[in-house]
Amino acid sequence: MNFFAVALQAGTSPDINFPLILPEMIVCGVAVLVMFLDAFMRRSQRWVTGGLSLLGLAAGAAATIWLWTRGAGSLGTFNGMIVLDEIRLSFTLVVIFVSALTVLLSVVWVEGEHLPAGEFHSLLLFATSGMMLMASGGDLVIIFLGLEILSIATYVMCGFRRTDLRSNESSLKYFILGSFSSAFLLYGIALVYGATATVRGSGVVAGTTNIAQIGERVMAGDIMYPALLFAGAAFMLVGFGFKIATAPFHVWTPDVYEGAPTPVTAFMAAGPKAAGFASFLRVFIFGFPFVGAVASASSATNVHDAWLHALAILAIITMSVGNVAAIVQNNVKRMLAYSSIAHAGYALVGFVAAGAATDATQRADALAAVAFYMLTYAVMNLGAFAVVTLIARQNDRRTEVEDYNGIGFRAPALSFTLSIFLLSLLGMPLTAGFIGKVAVFASALNVGSSAPAASSLYTILVVIGVLNTAISAYYYLRLIIVMFFRERTTEWAVPRIPASMALVLVITILGVFYLGLFPGRVLDAFKRKPASGAVTQIAR
Amino acid sequence: MTELAINFPFALQGAPAPQVQGIDLSWYLALSAVLFTIGVVGVIIKRNVISMFMCIELMLNAVNLTFVAFASYFRDVTGQLFVFIVMTVAAAEAAVGLGIIIAIFRNRESLDVDDANILKL
Amino acid sequence: MQEFRLEAYLPILLMFIVALGFAAGNILLSQLVGQRKQTRTKLMPYECGKDPVGSARERFSVKFYLIAMIFILFDIEVIFLVPWAVVFKQLAAQGAMMRNLVYVEMMIFVALLLVGYIYVVKKGAFDWGERARREAEAEARALKDMQKGREPSTNARAA
Repeated sequence: MNFFAVALQAGTSPDINFPLILPEMIVCGVAVLVMFLDAFMRRSQRWVTGGLSLLGLAAGAAATIWLWTRGAGSLGTFNGMIVLDEIRLSFTLVVIFVSALTVLLSVVWVEGEHLPAGEFHSLLLFATSGMMLMASGGDLVIIFLGLEILSIATYVMCGFRRTDLRSNESSLKYFILGSFSSAFLLYGIALVYGATATVRGSGVVAGTTNIAQIGERVMAGDIMYPALLFAGAAFMLVGFGFKIATAPFHVWTPDVYEGAPTPVTAFMAAGPKAAGFASFLRVFIFGFPFVGAVASASSATNVHDAWLHALAILAIITMSVGNVAAIVQNNVKRMLAYSSIAHAGYALVGFVAAGAATDATQRADALAAVAFYMLTYAVMNLGAFAVVTLIARQNDRRTEVEDYNGIGFRAPALSFTLSIFLLSLLGMPLTAGFIGKVAVFASALNVGSSAPAASSLYTILVVIGVLNTAISAYYYLRLIIVMFFRERTTEWAVPRIPASMALVLVITILGVFYLGLFPGRVLDAFKRKPASGAVTQIAR
Repeated sequence: MTELAINFPFALQGAPAPQVQGIDLSWYLALSAVLFTIGVVGVIIKRNVISMFMCIELMLNAVNLTFVAFASYFRDVTGQLFVFIVMTVAAAEAAVGLGIIIAIFRNRESLDVDDANILKL
Repeated sequence: MQEFRLEAYLPILLMFIVALGFAAGNILLSQLVGQRKQTRTKLMPYECGKDPVGSARERFSVKFYLIAMIFILFDIEVIFLVPWAVVFKQLAAQGAMMRNLVYVEMMIFVALLLVGYIYVVKKGAFDWGERARREAEAEARALKDMQKGREPSTNARAA
């Protein structure tokens, strides 16, 4: 179902509702504006473009919150192409938060590396608008479009240090593997579009790419080509798996994260991953939903079971591979890259729980847990990468573990903050990472206890998650030990902390403790449905 | 629910048939599956970045073929709309990809992916 | 099925005439109005700005690729204009508001393309740079030498 199809039927007005996409329009418009300004301004106007980007992101966040509290009334939803629900809004806020911190993180860095600031900021904003579309898309077209807007901007950002071979290589690898995985996702979409056709009377009703409609047809067992549906779901699983770096499809991650400029790595590990989860969740949980025993003979239950079990296995592999591989890394960025793979694995546990949940509250809890997990991960990850950026200096020269030898008492502010972020990534109580893990694991256990038949699966998932946390202690604590208890043999000057960087560190430290000590408000907020019964295709 | 008889100039009118212009739908799907597979294999075995990139384009066009075949069979425009978007995205990707490739070539004078090994695999 | 009427194809005939006239007219006009100066460069076979003689394995300036890339990007946008043009009448028939909406949306799209174009120009993508200018100037000098009946200075071509 699409715009033209409906608009062309006589008498129907198009289902257009611009306030519904206000946040996306604001961010996109500001991105164009920044690009335009950049063309007309001299270099070293980073404060102008940076400030404008921050303003745009703030306006986007305000519009998102406005949508959440006021709803969009009973206006249209672009024929279900855009949804308004708590998943979209919470992930949108996470993504905007990540981008805003990245702007702050990169303002000084861009200057120090003599890179064009305006281009960087506009690319970042375009990537943000793509991520927001990924979170808000109710149709596979929009999700694909958002994904590509995000990916193309990110390919460029990876290779932003044009003269640096590592940056080039990172960009190349990300580009090849990213477009490779996009093609898989796209083929999956094509097959699902074909598979969801149905027969009504003597005619064939066309297939659909609307996620809610796919869900309806799957639930009703109203599918013309079940085999194609399976194949399509599998291809889409692979495509999304690449994007969020789950284990068998994670090989690009360490190389790309290591080679990309550090602020870009910080952004990539937090933002696109969250956006990828948003659309991954939406497509699979609402597109191939749990059917129950009603349609016993249909293919629908099978496809749900299939992806659920596949994801459970992926979660186990992802957690284990990420953590075990991180142990042997000697480069801090590479270690954090593997750590980000492991964290995707933990978040997948929540995803599996949301997929398996049979009642709506449990599902909402699990979804909010995943969104909350992405938020906590974004906070601690951006903080950790901010410190890594400061220590790496120009051209990312000092990113090996040896570069951290004995800096503990020479630069106490930096090393203590980095230690806090590492402990949070590890999941120490009182920090954000702990609550994030607890929320995700608790949702899995809740779902398991209400489905006794398969409860062992969820228990196993959680047990493996906890074991992996124990493994991860090794490499997180190793860095802390290196910082405080290793002798320094080489020259080392304490890096100056610029004001914008200090702001990032303060925000992330406060975030780590706020989310760690008072998680309730944010978690509840993430569960709250948009007000005034605003039209949502999915929550129907 | 999308009505079948959309008044769209590209859509065929009349009763649905299990074929697209006289040829079974399955042939189109098989062709696009084969093309997609060739693309996948090409990306995996080719060592030159440009060739890999061309194979990715082949994969995208195989997908386009699937979309068009389904759209023509269903007499529906959603598939065609998708093809437009895929084409645009492919063009943008080509531009960015060639830019990346030029940046690499300037710094290294080689387009063999086996030479891209500073970051260990 | 409508009956076949030849008048229905009149617009196509007009289109052909205009197209032919445009091509022929331009050639004729330049023959009549344009000034003619036979220079060595102009008498060379036309090869899109490349030296026609020499190894085919020669490297091309990256500028060519840049232009090609930008061309692809702007060219591909036409695929959005064509369906829009096809359905515009039907949409416009639904009322003034619909017509304005559809029109304004496409104008926004075109404006965005224009912003992209301005950006490209401002960033100097069409600026063929110092070297190209120096080459052109060197060639002009060589031609002037030739017209004066002297040997072209040896470094003029190589510059």
